[in-house]
Amino acid sequence: MLHRLPDELQVTYDASEGEVFERLFPRAYLDPTEEEAEREWQALVHPDLLAQRLANLDAVRATFERFEGSGELREATLVDEEPDAWLAMLNDARLALGTRLGVTEETDLETASPDHADAGSYAVYGWLTFIEGELVEALLE
Amino acid sequence: MTAPVEAPVEAPVEVAQPIGEEEAVADRMWVVIVWNDPVNLMSYVVYVFQKLFGYSKAKATELMHKVHYEGKAVVSAGTLEKCEADVSRLHAHGLWATMQQD
Repeated sequence: MLHRLPDELQVTYDASEGEVFERLFPRAYLDPTEEEAEREWQALVHPDLLAQRLANLDAVRATFERFEGSGELREATLVDEEPDAWLAMLNDARLALGTRLGVTEETDLETASPDHADAGSYAVYGWLTFIEGELVEALLE
Repeated sequence: MTAPVEAPVEAPVEVAQPIGEEEAVADRMWVVIVWNDPVNLMSYVVYVFQKLFGYSKAKATELMHKVHYEGKAVVSAGTLEKCEADVSRLHAHGLWATMQQD
């Protein structure tokens, strides 16, 4: 399932509007009198932000080649810029999914009932949250 | 800004002094604010603050708590250019940051 994430995120990055786009490429200026500065800033910065994100996806895809083992449990060691690329990808996946699900501070991932239409998505979100948490702990050491 | 006055006075007097537009812009301090959001992990926010700004774990954690419990925190300040660069880096890490004049 993880190996599908880069392609799914790439599709998400291609969007130019919508609530997920607004979360991934948010405003820099809240002040309504700064609309021109905001437009200029977005024009300047958006291509770079997008390029960085696409480069992260490529770095993650490259690590898939190194996964050893078979079946459910596979291992690879991440080196150099790869941990940060994975972290960025996992975080973006959570931002996109969390925004679509309308996750709030009060959302309890454990109790989203199996009957809930989005139960599968909540499960994925919870799992991504767990993996990202583990990766951050490893990087914070 | 306080302008120098011609005659000695007891108390300082503030006089509006016209200054060039470029000078005015360059002198302005800007601040970068990070806003709370329901998705980002607290540990991830701490990691990003340490990574981007070189803050100690204690300082990064303190800022993260401010963001989480107060809804927002000022994480850096400086010139327009510096703040734009900081906002851009924060956005690249999925945090929502905005900038405004101090």
